[in-house]
Amino acid sequence: MYSRAYKAGVTIPPLLWVSVFLLVPYAILFCYSFWSVSPAQVIVHNWNLQNYLQLARNPIYLQVLFRSMRIAASVTVFALLLGYPLAYYLSFHAAKRKDLLYQLVIIPLWASYLVRGYAWKTILGSDGVLNGFLQYLHITHKPVEFFLYSPFAVIITLTHIYTPFTLLPIYASLEHIPRNLVEASHDLGSSPWSTFRRVILPLSLPGALAGATFAFVLTLGDFLAPLLVGGPSGVMISNVVVSLFGAAYNWPLGAAISFCMMLLVVTLLFVTERLEKRLAVS
Amino acid sequence: MSDRKRTPGIVWLGVLAAIVVLTAGGCAKKTPALSLLVWEGYADPSYVRAFEESHHCKISASYMGSSDELVAKLRGGSASNYDVISPSSDVATMIAAAGLAAPLDLSKLPAYPRLSERLRTMPLVRVNGNVYGVPFTWGPNPLLYDTTYFAKPPDSWAVLWDPKLKGKISAWDELSTMYMAAQVLGYDKPDPNHIYNLSDGELDNVRKKLIELKPNIRKFWSTGGELTNLFENHEIVAAMGWPLTTNQLRAAGFPIGETIPKENTTGWIDHLMITTASEHKDLATEFLEYMIEAKTQKMVTDVTGYDPANSHAAEFMTDEQRKTLHLDNVDEYMTRIYFWQNVPRRDKYNEIWNEIKAAQ
Repeated sequence: MYSRAYKAGVTIPPLLWVSVFLLVPYAILFCYSFWSVSPAQVIVHNWNLQNYLQLARNPIYLQVLFRSMRIAASVTVFALLLGYPLAYYLSFHAAKRKDLLYQLVIIPLWASYLVRGYAWKTILGSDGVLNGFLQYLHITHKPVEFFLYSPFAVIITLTHIYTPFTLLPIYASLEHIPRNLVEASHDLGSSPWSTFRRVILPLSLPGALAGATFAFVLTLGDFLAPLLVGGPSGVMISNVVVSLFGAAYNWPLGAAISFCMMLLVVTLLFVTERLEKRLAVS
Repeated sequence: MSDRKRTPGIVWLGVLAAIVVLTAGGCAKKTPALSLLVWEGYADPSYVRAFEESHHCKISASYMGSSDELVAKLRGGSASNYDVISPSSDVATMIAAAGLAAPLDLSKLPAYPRLSERLRTMPLVRVNGNVYGVPFTWGPNPLLYDTTYFAKPPDSWAVLWDPKLKGKISAWDELSTMYMAAQVLGYDKPDPNHIYNLSDGELDNVRKKLIELKPNIRKFWSTGGELTNLFENHEIVAAMGWPLTTNQLRAAGFPIGETIPKENTTGWIDHLMITTASEHKDLATEFLEYMIEAKTQKMVTDVTGYDPANSHAAEFMTDEQRKTLHLDNVDEYMTRIYFWQNVPRRDKYNEIWNEIKAAQ
């Protein structure tokens, strides 16, 4: 068996890392959420619940949170609709082209987030590629404005960015399905559709759930896409946090929102993990 | 078991530490560096390079997107990263009073008495008898418009609310947009300075007025470059902007117009200050002196299109340049500008501004 020193050697550094760079900052953040800013713009350490009360009282914050969740849900649905069929094709039908296609899915991840954001700006803008093309074909006669600086632009950009994150877990779970189960299903006379519905889909659900969680959680916390391509009414919850920590200099309120968000995400992760386990067992 | 023969990690750690120490020691001897946190255009190579050469130093600049970003950075503990800052008149008083800037030794700034008296004598950067900043540039926040869309200059800020301009304007992601709405609502009468001291009820009306404006807003802008792009890509036809934007767009051949509507407009005086945490205060003072000399001020004006605090800069200009900068009639021009002031309830203003942005 492993020696005590070995065990300590492999466990203590990561534990230290997690405590110093994750748990302690979270604890500090938690403390901040009970403090307040004085009129002289100084953060004072008088413990109170004002920030949480303000979140509950002012409907704006809940509105923005629901808007962010709606956007996150749309992105999740689109990422699944795009990611699942592609993963299925890769796993079952791509044969020799499998490696090539797999790389093609991965390559966009090498480009920086910002580059991809700006790319959509040039595609969707009033003078952009898409509007130019539509006008060239005389489908439209003046620029379609909702393409850019709108929730539409945010959803399309985020779907593009997070679809690979959804696809990879689905692909992994499809790869793990024993092929003899699929063959057995065919041998017993079930149609391809019924094989998919009764064998492949149930076995790949944990992967799909993991992928969906990735897309949802990452989108919910995103603030760059609304900043780059979002419109004046497309502010998401992270933009509010950014502004509170930056320009508005209200760290305590920003900390309170961050803490609520964290609670929400942790609950979500907990629930999906339980679901995944149950799906994997049955 | 071959692992045992490998060099123990601790040795590598030691080597790494030695490298870090050695390189850090090397850095200490390199040329002194001034780091600036200023508005875009204030560290242009056309004038900064000459100072670097004459003083054998390196100047590195970061740009700020709003006054509040500057305050947040200074407050957030990164004050020691910067030597020179260029706060505008809305936050200058607060920065000086909070001890974030160092008092200046005016005897080391021979050009100071040559700066506009009107700007120097304002109480903005005077705290307890000390002077914390030198006026650097000033200017309005004018209404910019695409001349192919507007045959003649719009005469009122109210034009931004025109239903025909749906999705065709941009608003500055800054409290100035709130001041502008307050002007449209007439809160600047009789006392123009009242827009910096609005009551709760008035702020609520400003909020409603700006939420009405939202359907017309294509995008909020926060950097000059962003606004320039919005015009160039024909995303918008009108916005409150900076003379810098006008300059950039004119240079790019874009048909841009600039006007001060009948309600007048807000404006700013930017001061140069030295941070309390700066380790190069002498060098920074020399830099301030260089930046307010008439010759440098003329070059700053060439880049930014802002008015120079040192009116002697006009001696180096052409008649036309003097005219575009209104230096031929500067006193009358200044009455059209409500210079930004300390906003005592800035947190309340910021809260309302966030609500406006977050609203549907």
